[in-house]
Amino acid sequence: MSERSVAIALKIPDNAAYTAFLALRRLGVRVARVERAQILQFDDGGDAGAAVRRIARNEALFNPNVHELEVLEKNAPRPGEAWIEMLRGEPEAAGGSSLRRYMGWRLYTEGDSPADVATVRAAVEALLCNPAIERAILE
Amino acid sequence: MSAKVAVLVFPGTNSETETVRICLDVGLDARAVRWSYAENLPSYDAYVLPGGFAYEDRIRAGAIPAHDPMMDAVIEGAQRGKLVLGICNGAQILLEAGLVPGTGPVRKPTAAFTRNAPVPRFVCTHVHVKLAVEPSRCAITAALEREALIPAWAAHGEGRLAASDEHLAEIAAGGHLAFVYAHADGTVDERAVPNGSALGCAGLTNKAGNVLAIMPHPERDAWDFNHPDLRSGTNVLSPSGGAMLFASFAEALKDV
Repeated sequence: MSERSVAIALKIPDNAAYTAFLALRRLGVRVARVERAQILQFDDGGDAGAAVRRIARNEALFNPNVHELEVLEKNAPRPGEAWIEMLRGEPEAAGGSSLRRYMGWRLYTEGDSPADVATVRAAVEALLCNPAIERAILE
Repeated sequence: MSAKVAVLVFPGTNSETETVRICLDVGLDARAVRWSYAENLPSYDAYVLPGGFAYEDRIRAGAIPAHDPMMDAVIEGAQRGKLVLGICNGAQILLEAGLVPGTGPVRKPTAAFTRNAPVPRFVCTHVHVKLAVEPSRCAITAALEREALIPAWAAHGEGRLAASDEHLAEIAAGGHLAFVYAHADGTVDERAVPNGSALGCAGLTNKAGNVLAIMPHPERDAWDFNHPDLRSGTNVLSPSGGAMLFASFAEALKDV
């Protein structure tokens, strides 16, 4: 069994990410840019290429007209990123499914550098995660 | 002179017209206040957050508007004892703002109205909600009868109360559970709950009882033409059951 994670992001302007950016700035979190991606984590059955092609062919998950798909090197948030997961028991949580879903928020500071962990944590606590229903995974 | 009530309009709010209308019908001086006029809000006596999809529910339902400058005035007003009523998306915003159940700091939510369960789909159905606390526990319900039954329309994909076991216990023990879903005859059981809401919750109040968040829409069953069993010959503009909550709201504001 080998776990694989992919990030599916909009390649057209992402209004939700921009709204989050504006809100975070207003809340005093020093970010210069915010990206958002749906993170899918799954068992690739030993054939990463075939598994990723299956995801890319699933129109409910991936629309090549508006999305871009990136296979992540690690099954963990990248620098500057937080993954938000619904808590166990929530209808959208992974449950018994082999597919785990997260909302990935990637923050950048001036100079387009990934935000440090303290900044990401501040964004998570201020806005990006409601601990009553979600949990955040930081790098 | 009637109390001045601001019906807040965020980008994406869609129920302000009927909310203003029923507030006017019960004698309140209500008007819609758009997000670009937040500076006017402190002059109002009370606030209503109507339904809709404020800021397109970006991030989570209610998350962005809870941090909107309009909510600064609402939070400050609520802390000074002004009445605040949130309906549907307005209720979601009040939870994200931490005003209800109010068991944690402001803007640090301890609960959420989130995805319906067991199937996370949008529900649009006629429901009844039953007052689950003493009427006087919440100023907005004070003029209702005990166990008042109010008809309303549930129209949401994210109306299920969710919180940790600890916070749910706090909600129950603290008298925050203002309304529960009920059948038309007033009986309460799981089948009356359209969305899997914890505790059968349809509405929450805060500790002081001046803030009420209710998920179904009483303003959409405020006149007889809204009611599903409308009979021919009825005056369609007669007040329907949903108007009771707003009449009680107006009663609470009569001395303001």
